Amino acid sequence: MQVYDPTAPMAAPAEDLRQRVADLSGKVIGFIDNTKPNFNLLAQDLGELLLERYGVKAVIQKRKRSVATAAPNEVLEELARECDLVITGSGD
Amino acid sequence: MNRPLSPLTRATLVEAPDDLDELIEFFHARRWSDGLPIVPPTRERVARMLSCTQRKPDEIIAKVAPGFGEATVERIAINAVMAGCRPDYLPVLIAATQAMSAPEFNLQGIQATTNPVAVWLIINGPIAEQLSVNAGPNCLGQGTVANATLGRALRLIMQNIGGALPGDMDRATHGQPGKFSFCCAENEAQSPWPPLHVERGFKREQSTVTVVGAAGTHNMNTHADNADELLRVIADTMMFPASNDYWIGGEPWLVLGPQHAAILHAGGLSKAEVKRRLWEESKMPARRMAARELQRTQAVRESKIGPINEDTMLAAADGPEGIGILVAGGPGTHSVYVASFGDARAVTREVIA
Repeated sequence: MQVYDPTAPMAAPAEDLRQRVADLSGKVIGFIDNTKPNFNLLAQDLGELLLERYGVKAVIQKRKRSVATAAPNEVLEELARECDLVITGSGD
Repeated sequence: MNRPLSPLTRATLVEAPDDLDELIEFFHARRWSDGLPIVPPTRERVARMLSCTQRKPDEIIAKVAPGFGEATVERIAINAVMAGCRPDYLPVLIAATQAMSAPEFNLQGIQATTNPVAVWLIINGPIAEQLSVNAGPNCLGQGTVANATLGRALRLIMQNIGGALPGDMDRATHGQPGKFSFCCAENEAQSPWPPLHVERGFKREQSTVTVVGAAGTHNMNTHADNADELLRVIADTMMFPASNDYWIGGEPWLVLGPQHAAILHAGGLSKAEVKRRLWEESKMPARRMAARELQRTQAVRESKIGPINEDTMLAAADGPEGIGILVAGGPGTHSVYVASFGDARAVTREVIA
């Protein structure tokens, strides 16, 4: 018999957004803190390393309201505008 | 910047076995079911379902997280058929799909989390009676077609259109039985207060569906016979240190049995006053939490409620209005505490044919 497929095509992964950065020198790096304990400390240490060892120009650290919600649009827009690369966290 | 979705807004027909047992296995093999047998979504059954709405089959009601598949009216109808819904249930599922896709419901979090959260559907207004949605004895249990199949259909929509398959995008550690179906109506006839949808800005004669991110049900059996004592034991039950509501500032719900609601009403309490009292009396000392939960609480709630230390009395919600109250169930000395996912806010939408 013929039946309907109940599924929907999933949104296509945005592969074309994945632009690699050749080197970090002079770049602005963003962090989105997922609010899990110690992420801020990890990001702080990584930020210092990036500045000292890799010649990064600046590090911007932003925080989500909580782990299960997306970062607010203003934050995403600001990071997209200011940064060459953004690092975020998932899980603990 | 997302690439445009393929224009396949119409569902496709596929060849499947004629034999019912084989057909059911065909659906299981594709992970198109919830583990229970399905009703085959044939062209005829889906057309019958679609005849109960004025909307066009290819109208996109929402894009369902986390896969953001397009929930067209037709795909909602297909999943409704599979779940065993009667055709006139379709408008409820359309409204429920709209509701769960509102940003404040945080469906992406609900679908992908390790938390057991299920989507609880609450039906209010005349449609509850028209569709015989159970609001009385055993309303959160088995035995009523609407309660069993509406929740089931929504789950199939979340899996098949949202793409959250257990163990895959759905990362639940345990899940809960409510993920098969979690649906009831409010017992408006036996409630001493205005019903939920009126409280949320609708007219009594409108029909609505409300979605709640429910972490589970915890029964409260108490023979307390006065409002003060009843509130005290309910508030005491709401408090537990491993609760998402307390560390996030959530939205805990209470399903008050009609007997308990009558006691509170006889004590002179409005629904708002019940919420206020429960919010105050269920404040929990932060020291009851594990150290890491306290850290998480500080990280999430200090921006809203100021400095938090071990002596802070934490409320389960940001304010009294954050506590949800529903009157439902049959006779008996029971009410139900529904702890929430924490990071979701209930959403109500009108049911329109």
